Amino acid sequence: MSESGLIDELLKRNDDAFETLVREYGPSMYGVILAIVNNPSDAQDCLQKAFVQVFENIQSFRRDASLKTWLHRIAINTALMLLRSQKRQKTVPLEDYSQHYNQYGERTAFSADTAFTAKSESFDDSSNNIEQLFERLETKTSLHQLICQLPEKYCNVLLLRDIQGLSTKETSVYLEVSESVVKTQLHRARLFLKAALSKPNNLRVK
Amino acid sequence: MLVIRRLMTRYMPGMLTCQQVDSFLYDFHEGNLSFAQNIKFKFHLSMCRDCQAYVAGYKQTIQNIKAGAAIEQHPQKIPEDLVQAILKSTKR
Repeated sequence: MSESGLIDELLKRNDDAFETLVREYGPSMYGVILAIVNNPSDAQDCLQKAFVQVFENIQSFRRDASLKTWLHRIAINTALMLLRSQKRQKTVPLEDYSQHYNQYGERTAFSADTAFTAKSESFDDSSNNIEQLFERLETKTSLHQLICQLPEKYCNVLLLRDIQGLSTKETSVYLEVSESVVKTQLHRARLFLKAALSKPNNLRVK
Repeated sequence: MLVIRRLMTRYMPGMLTCQQVDSFLYDFHEGNLSFAQNIKFKFHLSMCRDCQAYVAGYKQTIQNIKAGAAIEQHPQKIPEDLVQAILKSTKR
């Protein structure tokens, strides 16, 4: 069935069309959600909620975007909502991770809590050896938790761009912000993680 | 040698500062710099060890994030019981 035909049938509340939709688009939506929530059980709950929303809101679907884009937007929003509801821990102020320069625009005093300097020992052993990094992370869940410590807007951008692998444009569409905002927030989020991954203590996420 | 490099990064016409390197870093990584910007960026890197380490660390961090998050992004199927649960929850 073509996408247009499928949409027509969905608008008529055809059960078979809805089943086709779930089977055809469910796996990719599940992949998107899983990348964000990092937990198969939560991802399954989210997928179910997302499809309920799809079913309830299919009448509002405008054909100016593809069906896949619309479905993924719902999946992403549902997953981000779950993440928000799970966020109990305090987020970190990103200002602590900004660079300092002298009058010549050269790097000078590094924030005491960061490890941006080339002379830092932890820089070499943390950044260049992925196996060592994972040993310290213990599980990939720790990385996800670390990302979730970021303020929400930075966390969302990082999850979609670097974890989910979406383009800047796609991320801006899904999060309904400009591409320049995506770039700025992603850059700051990466700088935070760069500092955090260089410091073993930062990996012990509570 | 370090002093010469420091003087060059400070006073050589057209040389980017470390601060400007930071502002170009995102676009450098994304491959969005113009030809001229790219040349200037790389020239500064060739002269500044702090920035070399900083940029290398930035790249490595992104690789680490992606490798750490590597999961099966798009499974071919979702479990049949999940499909049935979804269909059931949307039936009126």
